[in-house]
Amino acid sequence: MFHYTFHWNQAFKALPQMLDGALVTLQIALLSMAIGLAVAIALTLFRLSGSRILGGFATAWIEVARNTPALFQIYMAHFGLGNFGIHLSPFTSLLVGIAFNNAGYLAENFRGALKAIPDTQARAGRSLGMTSLQAFRLIVMPQMLRVAFLPVTNQMVWAILMTSLGVTVGMNTDLAGITQELNARSFRTFEFFAIAAVIYYVIAKAVTLAARAFASRMFRY
Amino acid sequence: MRISVLAFGLMAATALAGQAHADKLDDIIASGTLRCAVVLDFPPMGSRDENNNPIGFDVDYCNDLAKALGVTAEIVETPFPERIPALMSGRVDVGVASTSDTLERAKTVGMTVPYFAFEMAVTANDKSGIKSFEDMKGKTVGATAGTFEAIALEKSVKEWGVGEFRPYQTQADVFLALSQGQIDATVSTSTVAQANVKSGKFAGISVVGKAPYDIDYVALFTNREEYGLINYLNLFINQQVRTGRYAELYEKWVGGEVPSLSVNGVYR
Repeated sequence: MFHYTFHWNQAFKALPQMLDGALVTLQIALLSMAIGLAVAIALTLFRLSGSRILGGFATAWIEVARNTPALFQIYMAHFGLGNFGIHLSPFTSLLVGIAFNNAGYLAENFRGALKAIPDTQARAGRSLGMTSLQAFRLIVMPQMLRVAFLPVTNQMVWAILMTSLGVTVGMNTDLAGITQELNARSFRTFEFFAIAAVIYYVIAKAVTLAARAFASRMFRY
Repeated sequence: MRISVLAFGLMAATALAGQAHADKLDDIIASGTLRCAVVLDFPPMGSRDENNNPIGFDVDYCNDLAKALGVTAEIVETPFPERIPALMSGRVDVGVASTSDTLERAKTVGMTVPYFAFEMAVTANDKSGIKSFEDMKGKTVGATAGTFEAIALEKSVKEWGVGEFRPYQTQADVFLALSQGQIDATVSTSTVAQANVKSGKFAGISVVGKAPYDIDYVALFTNREEYGLINYLNLFINQQVRTGRYAELYEKWVGGEVPSLSVNGVYR
């Protein structure tokens, strides 16, 4: 029942354009991870601070980020904020949406990692005369990042795949956006989507393998 | 004796071959159902009423076609980008989905003669100060991804070399973005523009003029190799015009002067 003849030679003409899109995809994913990591560390500190307001804020962020669809978060960053007169470009909306999502998940990763680090570590730091912030920054955080490293790379892969949701807010320069446009123009859906899928796979796999290689070098005991 | 055996064998062979050559037109008639791909966020061509039932020009057109074929119509909602995958994966038989008949697309699907024709209109946010198509130069503009007008507008923006083009996935998102001021103007079919401005759902927007693009002829489509069905569809479109049903549906859903579906000076 599949009445379709593949026109690969036509589709491959668009490959350079799609690879340019893949670069934009990677760029958004990396930026969103950088922002997400910074915010997640802040959220982790808020939760450790003992302050009700800060802790509540962090918990609310994490709950919303982890329990609503990424599509919804990105859509809200564009049309939700737009309703209040805050106009983000498609690029920024997508970045904000994914970074918001990343921060929530990464904060949870950090919480899990902190559990693996005994309290005595922080106390040992304090007994050496460090302030609690110093003890966190110099003793606990490096260990936390080490334990959380592989889960963090999972989130990076997830961030790459989430960029494909940008088409819903008018993004047309990333891999998914370019693929959609090529598809609309020519109706060669299956060729273009197959190529896009391979590119996404290669990027995601490369990130995973690079992270594993990095981890096995850095985290030798 | 030998001749009659041969004749019998020949008859059996033709009967079998006849069976094996049932085409899509036969399949539709045999199944008793015509499944049409229709875009339902594209008023007045396709939308939903208060009870969530599909309505619009394209919906009526599909029902007419089913009636002509003596089968029941099934409306399958397909957003613009999903029309072709729906056809290729066998979820629908025919697209009645305001599909522009570009040569590029005709390499993939079989297009009929035009069954409708759109003119393009510019709709702008009142605060943008855009009063004509030319004023759009340098502004942020958008349109529904994958449509004739989106492709034309993106080309214009590239030629102008200033401003920004944003494709949204649905017509509703385009008008939402326009009404919020995320984009300053859009080009859409004049029917859609008027329907959306009139709907009152989107504040602060007005139709400001025509866009200087070619008339957007739209065709029904089905699988490229289904000549039997395409032939039938062409005749159906011809009959819709001949019997006055096309004008009747146009009056019902759009109103005003009925656009001509023929191009002067050339055969299809």
